[in-house]
Amino acid sequence: MKKGLLLKWQWFLVLALSGQVLQAQSRCDITLKGKVVDAHTQEPVAFANVAIQGSNIGAMADENGVYAIDSICEGVYIIVCSHVNCDHAEHQVVLTEDTQKDFVLEQHGIFIEEVVVKGKAELLKATGAGGTLDASRLGSERGLSLGDAIEKLPGVTVLNTGSTIAKPVIQGLHSNRVLLLNNGVRQEGQQWGNEHAPEIDPFLADKATVIKGAGSVRYGADAIGGVILVEPRPLREKQGIGGELNLQGLSNGRTGLVSGMLEGRLSDKIPVSGRIQGTAKRGGNLQTPNYYLDNTGVEELNFSWALGMKKENWNTELFFSRFYTRLGIFSGAHIGNLTDLMNAIGRERPLQDGAFSYELGRPQQRIYHELFKWKGALETGEKGTLQLQLARQFNRRQEYDAHRPYGNLPDNFDEPQIEFEITTHTAELSWEHNPIRRLRGTIGAHFMQQANTTDRGALIPNYENYTAGAFWIERWKNYPSPLEVEAGLRYDYQWMDVGIQGQDTINRQLDFSNLSGTVGAIYRFPKLVELRFNIGTAWRAPNVNELFSDGVHHGAASFETGDPNMRPERAYNNSLTIELDDKDKLNATLNFFYNVIDDFIFLEPQPQPVLTIRGAFPAFRYAQSDARLMGLDWQLAYELMPALQVESQASLLNAWNRSRKEYLSLMPPAQFEHALRYSFGEGEKGKNAPYLRLAMINVLEQTRVPEGTDYAPPPPGHTRFKLEGGAQFRLSGQPLEVSLAVFNLFNTSYRQYLNRFRYFADETGRNVSVHLRVPFGKEGVKK
Amino acid sequence: MVLMNAKFMRSVFALLAVSALSWAGCQKDDDTPPTNETELITTVILNFTAPGGSVSSFKFSDTDGIGGNPPVAEDITLAANTTYQLDIEFKDESNASDVKDITKEVREEAEKHLICFAASGVLDIPVTLDTDADGAPLGLETELTTGQAGNGTLTIVLKHEPDKGAANPCNTGETDVQAEFDVVVQ
Repeated sequence: MKKGLLLKWQWFLVLALSGQVLQAQSRCDITLKGKVVDAHTQEPVAFANVAIQGSNIGAMADENGVYAIDSICEGVYIIVCSHVNCDHAEHQVVLTEDTQKDFVLEQHGIFIEEVVVKGKAELLKATGAGGTLDASRLGSERGLSLGDAIEKLPGVTVLNTGSTIAKPVIQGLHSNRVLLLNNGVRQEGQQWGNEHAPEIDPFLADKATVIKGAGSVRYGADAIGGVILVEPRPLREKQGIGGELNLQGLSNGRTGLVSGMLEGRLSDKIPVSGRIQGTAKRGGNLQTPNYYLDNTGVEELNFSWALGMKKENWNTELFFSRFYTRLGIFSGAHIGNLTDLMNAIGRERPLQDGAFSYELGRPQQRIYHELFKWKGALETGEKGTLQLQLARQFNRRQEYDAHRPYGNLPDNFDEPQIEFEITTHTAELSWEHNPIRRLRGTIGAHFMQQANTTDRGALIPNYENYTAGAFWIERWKNYPSPLEVEAGLRYDYQWMDVGIQGQDTINRQLDFSNLSGTVGAIYRFPKLVELRFNIGTAWRAPNVNELFSDGVHHGAASFETGDPNMRPERAYNNSLTIELDDKDKLNATLNFFYNVIDDFIFLEPQPQPVLTIRGAFPAFRYAQSDARLMGLDWQLAYELMPALQVESQASLLNAWNRSRKEYLSLMPPAQFEHALRYSFGEGEKGKNAPYLRLAMINVLEQTRVPEGTDYAPPPPGHTRFKLEGGAQFRLSGQPLEVSLAVFNLFNTSYRQYLNRFRYFADETGRNVSVHLRVPFGKEGVKK
Repeated sequence: MVLMNAKFMRSVFALLAVSALSWAGCQKDDDTPPTNETELITTVILNFTAPGGSVSSFKFSDTDGIGGNPPVAEDITLAANTTYQLDIEFKDESNASDVKDITKEVREEAEKHLICFAASGVLDIPVTLDTDADGAPLGLETELTTGQAGNGTLTIVLKHEPDKGAANPCNTGETDVQAEFDVVVQ
């Protein structure tokens, strides 16, 4: 009753306002009406609020879920539907005549914080900076690597080891400072190494979300750089069978790739859904503009399956994925000692010019990763949803040197020099409560047990690691109030038992514990502007390599030593994001960040080299300093003409060692991308229309480097171009999607500061990719 | 429809079974000590044969491998104005009870190996006598001629996969061993 009154009052205001603001429009008598129903029961949702975003125009649905808003002027609007027991749902409509629009609301969101509006899901917006890429925006780069695919987001760059290994870097931080969640499970491999890429099939990713900065209390303490969420496609909700086939060919390396997915759901009575998916990839030696890179082929074979059942108040899901790759390491980068390294740097081009070959020789890596998880969610009455997730991961990393081991005749190609195996069990329990007044929140706990076995080599020891953590996040939101506030707190405890390293017994127990926290807010101005602010603090326990490394890092020709008395890092992260969106022509996001990291762990060069029977090796020791990383990322899209869009994005970073008064080494240089995108024909806001996009990527020379610590100065800046295009059409009824991409369009020779092989060879030259996607199924498949 | 569902379920279960199999047997026994890095040459021995047939040997060794204790080199003493036959041996002495001779392997893979020399002071570099199957130098067997008395150094470098056709093959390939000896010529 009270609500009804309130609404009536609003109504008057609305009429008064709309008359003024929208006077210029030709037609102002359009009625929008429809029904709001529950996603599961298809029952009407009574008394939901339906409103036009950015205005006070709205209406409340009656007890049958029916609503109507009249006297709306022509235009494009975001219609928001909200209800006390649901999250709000948004839908864009183009109003030129009376329109019917039904809303499907997901009550008590069974998927965490997710709401289903016919074909569009909206997550609660993070208060920190970040971004999401869906399958189509992940694009042709999926055929390269996951790292290359998510590099499209501003603030995200990659750390390469040659052209076959790409590791994501968020605002200058990577490896153990970036947490990767593969389908909701913390990816646990040997992430500490610069040359250890994420062990995830890029084609399993239907969506990749990046959360920048230390604001993610939910996922773990050690993510002081940020979090990357890789999510597969949700299990099918509609009865029937569907799937898709992806075929991709890339000219460089003559790489071929096939990836298929098949999914189905039994019936509405037996709500069991399943999906199988697999990817096979093979590529040979890659090519720079002037020469082949010897031994840079790759082989990958991945598959996954998922099986789920969803009832009204509970659901359960099993998921298994397996990743296997064999990849060649550019042979020209393999060196014995410092003299060899200096000889290699002095060479204009690598010794092994190479020819094309699919053959994978030494040095190479073989990496195997599997994940098995079970997840269950149960609605606990009217109060909320309880969720439990159990997972087991196994990771094996084998590194083969250029050389097969001495003293083991005869031919024993299959013997690696380095082999690590790591097994991880995780359990996660969380309870998401339904709104209590204006508060929504989640409380949860996380447990992890991990055992590492170093089967060959002695770079890091065997260890066992136990972690327990608890978090609590609450969000205050009073739609349509423009302010939204979120706060979270987390406590973690870690215990580590370190055993044997090579021939030595270390036998040390270490434990670390501390708090992380975050406070953030979103303020939405009625039009155009949205502000997001976030302050977070997080800590990271030193990793085993930082504590106990002891040996030569092959390929880097450096002797690395850990320090068992290392303290944890503590990060304080401030981020301000300004988003401009006029729902029509302009969309821009600007993110400023200022991060302070105390006791930042880094490799410090030592004055005395280590003398060995292989000659002299420069010595490095893990050290700690106070650091500061600040910068600016932006992303902008503006529609110049109805078919022509201009895009721009940038990642700028300044990373400073406060203790030593010098810059931090190995930080990404300033990077810009400017693009023009032209759409042919209409489509839903040009989204599905054929398009062409020409992008200019401009990387500046990294001048902010500490003096005298590198073997060679950072490479000069460069500009390269990328051309992309795509079209969807039907071939005798069968929908098809073709995308074309040309990376390094003008075959530019360049080197990247963040490629560890920049001493030895150029980056790859022109690469033409053709990708064909064939969706199939009982009904039109892709939403 | 029912048929399709049954088929679908069957394939799902088949897959379940397959991945359950592939998943088993990965848990590792944690107590087995890891093997040391296998690519190990710990010792270089230089055997100098004087014209009369007497042999004197000098050793450069780093038995605990890279890191730990630095390598130890014996000082070489040679007679002035003498031509020695110099043979080089490589050994893995990391395990005292199981010393491995690597020289044989280097010889068997002669095309992939090259021994390079550097000398300073009163010393000249040795002349390589042996060759690989392609007729390119190897360097396990050499000849060193001393001149006047004095001091100097002799450095032995074992290269893996050098480019023997290059202008300076000793600047190519990967260094497996680099051993420097102090030499006294009397």
